[in-house]
Amino acid sequence: MAKDLTTDVLVVGGGPSGSMTAKWAAKQGARVLMIEKRQEIGSPVRCGEGMSKEWLKEVGIVPSPRWINLEVEGARIYSPSEQVFEINEKHAGNEVGYVVERDAFDKQLAIDAANAGTEVLLKTSATGVLKDGGRVVGVRAKQFGEPFEIRAKVTIGADGFESQVGRWAGIPTNLALRDMDSCLQYRMTNVDCDTRYCDFYLGKVAPGGYVWIFPKAEGLANVGIGVQLSQIKEPAAAKTFLDKWIANHPGYAKGKKIDVVGGGVSISPPLKQTVTDGLMLVGDAARMIDPLTGGGIANGCIAGKICGEVAAKAVHSGNASAAAFQEYEKGWRARLEEKLYRNWLAKEKLVSLSDETFDKVIDALQGVKLLKLNVHNILKAVRDKYPEVTKEFEAFL
Amino acid sequence: MPGKKSLHIESSGQLCVYCSACVGVCPLNCIYLDETRITFDERVCTRCEICVKACPVGAIEIG
Repeated sequence: MAKDLTTDVLVVGGGPSGSMTAKWAAKQGARVLMIEKRQEIGSPVRCGEGMSKEWLKEVGIVPSPRWINLEVEGARIYSPSEQVFEINEKHAGNEVGYVVERDAFDKQLAIDAANAGTEVLLKTSATGVLKDGGRVVGVRAKQFGEPFEIRAKVTIGADGFESQVGRWAGIPTNLALRDMDSCLQYRMTNVDCDTRYCDFYLGKVAPGGYVWIFPKAEGLANVGIGVQLSQIKEPAAAKTFLDKWIANHPGYAKGKKIDVVGGGVSISPPLKQTVTDGLMLVGDAARMIDPLTGGGIANGCIAGKICGEVAAKAVHSGNASAAAFQEYEKGWRARLEEKLYRNWLAKEKLVSLSDETFDKVIDALQGVKLLKLNVHNILKAVRDKYPEVTKEFEAFL
Repeated sequence: MPGKKSLHIESSGQLCVYCSACVGVCPLNCIYLDETRITFDERVCTRCEICVKACPVGAIEIG
């Protein structure tokens, strides 16, 4: 039997949110242990690898060619009839950004956490939480199949979309069918991608989601799809719709697949509760993914920094109660919640649009110069050309 | 269990890509990914079929 361990802060999960939490807790002087069930941090990749960049500085991540494939100039949104609306950096305000090598990115963040003092255990999975009264005081774990216990003053659930830690502790993290996407992606070579843009195809080609093309290099791209579970009728929907889209696009049909990745993505409103006595949830485990874009790295890292700092404070004060963790609960909400909720409402509306309406929206946007891209300006442009379409969106205007 | 449909998760790798989407969506938390094997707890599963929808490659069958 492996030896039982004790630590100040235990982080379950070595993805970006976990590493970021570990790093900031360690920097504030806490003893931090991060456990990762895989044998290699960051691998296999489960990500489209598109990422905005304006937030990196805020959390202390230094951009590096080791994990950046390329920097795009903008995004192109394709309507069902394949009219294009281009979003560039000028009016998207830095929302567009990098295509990254996610395994290298995750490893860099784990290195940063380790260099700040975090101990890391690989091949180590949590199998349950330890409780003392109602309080979480660590986890039961397995390393190389050997069971042992880790006791911690503060436990962090950073265990991703399939998060167990929160559920074991009694925090409701279940999702409605309409708040989940099923995703599949191929990395394809010999394709006609444009390295200046990330491309998004909307409408019935991907019910309740979109098809994405994120270029990794000249002729090499991640070609993926997300479909909303509430709109799926047949099994293997993600694969069926993605294969169909590729077959209908000669520039991609001629490509060769060199990798396949699947995954689940939450597209939900923010959780009502992300802390309990002794425990905080962060990142995908706390359903912090942007419900409109499906992007989760930025939000996970931003919340991770706050989470790490609050965890260290709890260690120093000896108070790891849910009340003490309100600083994290309030902190991440102040920074992220309004946008998460607004984008969830926008997602709820978008997934209900017909292909015809999508076409009209993109058509209306093509003709105008938007100074700043936001929901209000988009709707104004659509109202000028197709007043009947905006009737459905009165609430947003 | 009498009267219950059978659920089959193909996790030998012919279809399954080990993405854990099914693990994450299970409302009863009864699907487990252990290295390269996915199992579910027959006694807890209610055959709600959410995992069938979530699986991007159709590796879960119910019938």
